[in-house]
Amino acid sequence: MTNTVSGRQEQWRAEFPYHWDEDDTITRRELLRFTVYTSGALFAAAVGLAAFNRFYRSRAAGVKPLVRLSELVPGQAFHFNYPDPDDESILIHLPEGRLVAYSQRCTHLSCSVSYQPERERLFCPCHDGAFDPRTGEPIAGPPRRRLPRITLEETNGIIYAKELLP
Amino acid sequence: MTRPSWQMPVLLTALTIGILLMGIQLWVLTVALDLLLGGEGSRVWQLALVSGAIFLGGVFVLNLLNKVFSQRERTD
Repeated sequence: MTNTVSGRQEQWRAEFPYHWDEDDTITRRELLRFTVYTSGALFAAAVGLAAFNRFYRSRAAGVKPLVRLSELVPGQAFHFNYPDPDDESILIHLPEGRLVAYSQRCTHLSCSVSYQPERERLFCPCHDGAFDPRTGEPIAGPPRRRLPRITLEETNGIIYAKELLP
Repeated sequence: MTRPSWQMPVLLTALTIGILLMGIQLWVLTVALDLLLGGEGSRVWQLALVSGAIFLGGVFVLNLLNKVFSQRERTD
């Protein structure tokens, strides 16, 4: 009887040669391999971000005419695109008469900031971030870095954008 | 075939460290995205290098473990 049972077991093992002892080891080794593959994917993603920045974000700007000085009203903003056609920027004629220009890209998560002259701030509606229009420094909300500044130059009554500074 | 007793702790340790490092890589990727969106993309390369170093370390350890295991299994 016992011989018959053990004979059946042997037959079963012969038909389904599954090594239970190795099961855990194989699973863990596979998991380790999968971890390394995932690590490679994360590395590739980081390289992709760096490459995106290198090829799409770091183009040289150059000098670009913006607007006639006579058209600017103190306390108002003028919107333009600089350095690329899809980079929104803002030129502010401060109430005291000074001109400042910034990228409109919020330094938190790249939402577009807008000028609120009545509250004397540049406001990002995504997470209630705010910047000082005189300096571009963050004054409220999650942003921790200042807005990228655009240097300006006036020649023959025309305002030119010269350079984007981080 | 029985498994050598030292294999499982070594595998588990490697797996734990690997998963921890993968978590760090994920964090590094979020920091890189944050910097990119914040306009400081020039620093993303440094983070990519850190991520690459972790990945290469993982590949090295995986190869090492495969070599050691196959060598020991042949001798045991």
